[in-house]
Amino acid sequence: MSEHKPAATQVKRREFLKVLGATTAAASAAACVPEETGKLIPYLVSPDQTVPGVSTYYATLCRECSASCGVIAETRDGRAIKLEGNPEHPLNKGALCARGQSALQGLYNPDRFRSPMIKSAGAWKAATWDEALTLLSQRLGEVRGGAAQSAVFLNQHESGSFPAFLDGWLASYGMRPHLSVDFEADTAAIEAHRRAYGMSWPRWNFADAKLIISFGADFLDGWGASVAHQLDFADARAKLASAPRFIYVGPRRSLTGLNADQWIASKPSGELAIANFLLGRGDANTASQTSGVPAATLQRLAQEFASAKPVLALAGGRGDNGLELATAVASLNGVRSAEGITAFDGIARQSDVLAAVERMRSGQVAAAFVRGANPAYALPKSARFAEAFAKVPFKVSFSMYPDETTELCDLVLPDLHTLESWGDAESTRGTVTLQQPAMDPVFAGTRATADVLIAVAKKDPATAARYPDAEYRTWLLRRLPGGGNPQTLGSELAKGFASGSTLARTIPAAAPAAASPAAAATGDLFLVTYPSATLGDGRGANKPWLQELPDPVTKVLWSSWAEIHPETAQRLGIERGDIVEVRNAFGAIRVPALIYLGVRPDTVAVPMGQGHSSPTQTSWYDGKDRAVQWGYGRYARAIGANALDLFPVRSNSGGGFVGSTTCAISKTGDHVTVVSTEGSARQHDRGIAQAISVNEIGAPVEREHEKPPGDAPHQFLPGLRSPVAADAQGELGSPTARDRGILQGMYKPDHASGMTRRRWAMTVDLARCTGCSACVTACYAENNIPTVGAPWQNGVVYAQHQPGFNITRGREMNWLRLERYYEGAEDGRFTEDFEARFVPMLCQHCGNAPCEPVCPVYATYHAPDGLNVQVYNRCVGTRYCSNNCPYKVRYFNWFGYGEPDRAQYAFPEPLNWQLNPDVTVRTKGVMEKCTFCVQRIREAEHRAASEQRTVAADEFTTACAAACPSRAITFGDAADATWSVNKFVEDERAYHVFEELNTYTAVVYLKKVNHPAAPAAQAPGAEARR
Amino acid sequence: MPGIIGAFSEIDSAVEAIEELRRTRFNELTVYTPTPRHEFEHALDAPPSRVRIFTLIGGLCGATFGYWIAVWASRYWPLVVGGKPIASWVPYTIFGFEVMVLIGSLSTVFALFALSRVPRLTMTVGYDARFSGGHFGVWVNTTSDRAKEAADLLRRHGAVEVRHEA
Amino acid sequence: MATAASPYPASEQRPNVPSASVRLPAVADYEQVDREIIATLRPTLGWFALLATAILCLLIGISAWTYQIYSGLGVAGYNPPVMWGVYIITFVFWIGIGHAGTLISAILYLFRAGFRTSIYRCAEAMTVFAVMTAGLFPILHLGRPWKFFWLIPYPNWRLIWPQFKSPLVWDVFAILTYFTVSSTFLYIGLIPDIATMRDRETNPVRKAIYSALSLGWRNSDREWRHFTRAYLFLAAFSTPLVLSVHSVVSFDFAMALTPGWHATIFPPYFVAGAIFSGMGMVFTIIIPIRKFFKLQHYVTLNDLDAAAKMTLFTSLIVGLAYLTEFQIAWLSGNKYEQQYFWNRVFGQWAWAAWIMIICNMVLPMSLFSQKLRRNPSWLWILSLFINLGMWFERFVIVVPSLSHEFEPWQWTTYAPTWVDYSILLGSFGWFFMWFLLFCKQLPIMAISELKEVVPPKRKHPHPEEFEHSRDEGIAHPQVTGEHELPGGLGAAGGGTH
Repeated sequence: MSEHKPAATQVKRREFLKVLGATTAAASAAACVPEETGKLIPYLVSPDQTVPGVSTYYATLCRECSASCGVIAETRDGRAIKLEGNPEHPLNKGALCARGQSALQGLYNPDRFRSPMIKSAGAWKAATWDEALTLLSQRLGEVRGGAAQSAVFLNQHESGSFPAFLDGWLASYGMRPHLSVDFEADTAAIEAHRRAYGMSWPRWNFADAKLIISFGADFLDGWGASVAHQLDFADARAKLASAPRFIYVGPRRSLTGLNADQWIASKPSGELAIANFLLGRGDANTASQTSGVPAATLQRLAQEFASAKPVLALAGGRGDNGLELATAVASLNGVRSAEGITAFDGIARQSDVLAAVERMRSGQVAAAFVRGANPAYALPKSARFAEAFAKVPFKVSFSMYPDETTELCDLVLPDLHTLESWGDAESTRGTVTLQQPAMDPVFAGTRATADVLIAVAKKDPATAARYPDAEYRTWLLRRLPGGGNPQTLGSELAKGFASGSTLARTIPAAAPAAASPAAAATGDLFLVTYPSATLGDGRGANKPWLQELPDPVTKVLWSSWAEIHPETAQRLGIERGDIVEVRNAFGAIRVPALIYLGVRPDTVAVPMGQGHSSPTQTSWYDGKDRAVQWGYGRYARAIGANALDLFPVRSNSGGGFVGSTTCAISKTGDHVTVVSTEGSARQHDRGIAQAISVNEIGAPVEREHEKPPGDAPHQFLPGLRSPVAADAQGELGSPTARDRGILQGMYKPDHASGMTRRRWAMTVDLARCTGCSACVTACYAENNIPTVGAPWQNGVVYAQHQPGFNITRGREMNWLRLERYYEGAEDGRFTEDFEARFVPMLCQHCGNAPCEPVCPVYATYHAPDGLNVQVYNRCVGTRYCSNNCPYKVRYFNWFGYGEPDRAQYAFPEPLNWQLNPDVTVRTKGVMEKCTFCVQRIREAEHRAASEQRTVAADEFTTACAAACPSRAITFGDAADATWSVNKFVEDERAYHVFEELNTYTAVVYLKKVNHPAAPAAQAPGAEARR
Repeated sequence: MPGIIGAFSEIDSAVEAIEELRRTRFNELTVYTPTPRHEFEHALDAPPSRVRIFTLIGGLCGATFGYWIAVWASRYWPLVVGGKPIASWVPYTIFGFEVMVLIGSLSTVFALFALSRVPRLTMTVGYDARFSGGHFGVWVNTTSDRAKEAADLLRRHGAVEVRHEA
Repeated sequence: MATAASPYPASEQRPNVPSASVRLPAVADYEQVDREIIATLRPTLGWFALLATAILCLLIGISAWTYQIYSGLGVAGYNPPVMWGVYIITFVFWIGIGHAGTLISAILYLFRAGFRTSIYRCAEAMTVFAVMTAGLFPILHLGRPWKFFWLIPYPNWRLIWPQFKSPLVWDVFAILTYFTVSSTFLYIGLIPDIATMRDRETNPVRKAIYSALSLGWRNSDREWRHFTRAYLFLAAFSTPLVLSVHSVVSFDFAMALTPGWHATIFPPYFVAGAIFSGMGMVFTIIIPIRKFFKLQHYVTLNDLDAAAKMTLFTSLIVGLAYLTEFQIAWLSGNKYEQQYFWNRVFGQWAWAAWIMIICNMVLPMSLFSQKLRRNPSWLWILSLFINLGMWFERFVIVVPSLSHEFEPWQWTTYAPTWVDYSILLGSFGWFFMWFLLFCKQLPIMAISELKEVVPPKRKHPHPEEFEHSRDEGIAHPQVTGEHELPGGLGAAGGGTH
């Protein structure tokens, strides 16, 4: 890490873009940048190891959720520009989810605090660190002694050394250990795991299972270490014939549920009855009554459970019997997993947090500290946190962002972002993941909390002695395995993790929590809430990438919604987009109704994550305001509604939050267009997302010549005989082409560049793809794709300030989109038997691309290596190419998203620091689309050239493929058999979308594989659809 | 250039005058008529217009150029689009045709101007505003010795006015 | 003779004169033609009012476009993947309008259709201004309009050329050619008339201008000889040109894969539609003109009748094309086409499709009735419906196709914004501004050609010329001094002397 302070904060964006220009040029050959541009580089003195225009990579750690994956931060000229998973890290093995990718937008978030702030007489004012620290130490002095014991420190859960350090610091002031909170963690499940498996979170062993049963455990959408789960789950499913069948039990079909082969729609908290029935406790009928599932279905489940061994059973503990369920399911589970994910050790239960809140309410708490956590938002409104918190005389927040809790505090000491500070985490037992700064702080006025604590301690002679170290870094490195000895440390830092263990936090033995009484809610419908797969418990809401990322299940973005089954909707006369009021004894919220097949007719589901608010600022950001954006920043405030307003203060016996209650819904008469990227959820037999039954694998693919013209033929010529490989130049390139001779210039087969020898291609294995959408965000991050949904981005134009308005007009820019098509349940009656198919849809880089011949100015043409090239500078914006694209993967710049002086500007300072220097920021009025990450292709080619070699097989890959946690995407050269992409191109499941159009696409999809129930236990109509 | 101009209000008298004049070997005649009438064409039986040659040549040049520019430009900077040949002559027929029409028409207009000596800056002797209205004019280009004869002839055929122009 | 052939009782004479042998019985001689046509050039208060309105509309359009250039195309109602909208629709609409003009002035000239004489100048001017209007829209709908010249093969130092396989480049050539040729054609036809006005003009300034414009034309036999020949060739060029232009415009759609566009029927279908829409606009313009300029005895009911027949004919072709499209989609067995057409007529876009069908197929059927063909008021009302219907035809072609393509996930809808509407309004303002300026500065009817059909003075009049005039003099309702006739001409109504 550079020791030099960058002048970054002074550099104006326009200059920075010039740097981008210069570095882009330089990136091509790792050469020096010309003198005159050199001075624009945000270093005063360039450190030795960095070459301008060439990336430096730092192995560090992701703290967007508690799982603590290892990441590699790519930095360019002192700025982190991209995060990717650390390929060697045991937990995530190189994959990274959408939330992890978005850490960058946390780092560069325009709403971060620039300096400490002090609230005096109810008004906030910026302060210097001296003032802030003086105030802190003075107030700490006052709460010494008995009162100190009462202080509360709420820290966003993280594993590693810091919790222990923090406890030590608190102890030195006579304060009790801190509460390590994570409001989206399933503490009931953790409790059950600890009892059953002796570890807080097993690394589920999907591969060995024959059958997977999930009782409301959404292990693909945020429950535990999703990335690790996905890796293992996808690998297990990729075994095709011998893959485990997957049954999901729960009231709502989550992303995990949609990936299941069968859904058993039990009532909320009804899963326990089913689990008990499988355990032989109780008979089918009672179980059927409690769970609302037909006895016949349960019988079949029992048969299958008995016949298929081993069975991997998981349970989510968010019901009011969460602990019991998780315990029961643990005893159902026949697949033991040795490895544990230790990152979840020591998460405080919600009951403990609520207890602390009660102590505040009773006025016993002398001081409160909050770091990262946001209880004012993430606790149910009925907990009346704000009121209790107000009773605390001195409240300090170490938050980076102006969130709800911080606004209630008296002092803000803005923390550093993970990517700016030192730390560690013990993700899996025996490996310490190292967190090192990837860059100097974005804002000079922010400081690492740990260093702040040391500084305060040093001010007080009583505690100073305990902190000999100048900064947390030295303290930490000394405790790392190897004691921070430079030789080992160097290699460990390079690798990103060390084996061994750091000093673990001594967790006070938690008294078994008693389930608090079920408060009486009103209403005839069940209401379930769940952490959003994209926004988590709401901490993702201030990152435009995550707001712009469609929910993997509903494809809704920039808003909240209430999922209602078609039957219920019909009964209540509700249509998609009607604003409904969801009401019960605890509160009411108004959200648009969303008709969803995957929820029980007696249940309404509302996601968490939206509805951030501020008492002082109630409206949307107007695009100009320079003040602190309370209410969790401009991208989060006043968007959607907070489902937690409807929930009682209630913990189950596992001390966990209970995510289900009852409610009533009614129409308000208002109607909105739901902000969604979904057009038609049915594919109208167009063979876009194809699937085969596992029984058909290996069976000869039937020829379908007799099909009427225009109907998708399902035969495919594999390998080099396939248009994919042979048609880098369309039909001209194919060996049999008549007029091949007229190919000129760089298209000559013997041209020096040798480009004609390559055919870049991609395969997407739908049997692996879970629809998690990590690839989408990876694409946004890599390709400088603007987000267009913020309320003020259309305000000027339509005079309607409305989140996602541009997206309701179909103007989202997602080069790579994840389509979700339903099969079955066409009639809208309730059935558990419908299927979802996920298709990542991106530019297919057709051999005979329809978009090319219609462009009047050669703005899009065909490169010799098979890329369908888009030349932004040449584009005049006739948009004919998009009209002629059957896949509809071309996106137009309707506004100046890249122009800072516009309301539509998508990268407000300092978000623009993240822009990838190798990729143009597109101007107003030009078309853009997926480029197969051409910048990566060329970088690899130039690297190879400078090393006098050719690009090695699988040497690099695209951003989407790199991120994909289920390894569904493979990119490579289809004309060179050594690239692994060829293996899939030749697969029997391979097909092109709209093959009958003879576009000769370079993207090959591998059919999804369905696992129908065993014939004996055949559910009616459950056989896989083609 | 001296001559006699006679103005007629009736077309048939003008025609008869012309026939008479030609019989008496006054061959340098110019007829002014508000609208083209076949009577005069027959009376004068002038050679057919040479506009057609210009039109033909212009059209051929246009067609050639249209094809050429498309083919040359495509091959000058060869880029493959949609797997189609670099120079695809079939669609380029459109350029051949359009440019043929363009150049063909323009050369026709040029021919019209060149052959009928327009634009001209000064009004020719003998022209009278009435000739764009209801009257027909017959201009006899003659020397002074036969001027009298021509004038009488015109009067005899009922010219409403006869004028000597010098 | 017409009377003899008339199937009607003598009480209500409704002759059906063969349009080739047109006569203007109410026009006595050449001087009357000059007098009455030049009389139309006197500006009136109503004219100033109309001109002001047109300019106001134009200004609205200009300001909307300025705003769009500044903010980006997003201010228009585009809803991807509906990437083309009102602008392309209006472009095709105006190009279509233009076609009738060339058809009347060129094709009917070749076919020697007499009823063209009185209306062709009007129609030709309409063509030029319609093409001027249409030409704006391809530029206007660009994402970066200031780069429009990249579509033109202009010499540049990098020798970068347009992509000649793109239908849009074909458009550039077709439309530029069409504009050049039709405006030349208009001007050539105007030269003798300008000469006439030059000779009648007293105001020295105007006289000077007319002299300059008339290029010293002096009606000599030699000029006329070349003139008639050149005019013939221009007509001969314009005829295939007008057919090619709208074929090329139709290629913009037919060359694409898009369901509902990818059809070989498009070129003939578009040409017929274009002429149909153009005839609509001709009626919209010529009927008020003949009324307010008091020219009913030049644009006779016979002329309207004949033009109406042509409208009816093209309407039938268009209707047939609509039905053929459905039949092709049905028989093709191509599910993309089938689903698209179903969605077009009975789904999402039914309202637009039915406006189109009623205005373009059903209402024009009324022209089977001669009574209505000879009723200017009805023709005018019908013409408004035709204009509306033809705009919606283009809407139905452009929008529903794009909103319902191959990829169901991207199916969408479309709603124009105030910017689209303002620019649409502005285009009408632009068109009518030019037309109004034209019709008060230059003769709205071809003086010299009218004189061709007016019998010249003779010492020994031809009997059949009397015959014609007398028959029609009696036969024509409007020459028997009924309300439509401007006062004073009733006497001349006999058409003989």
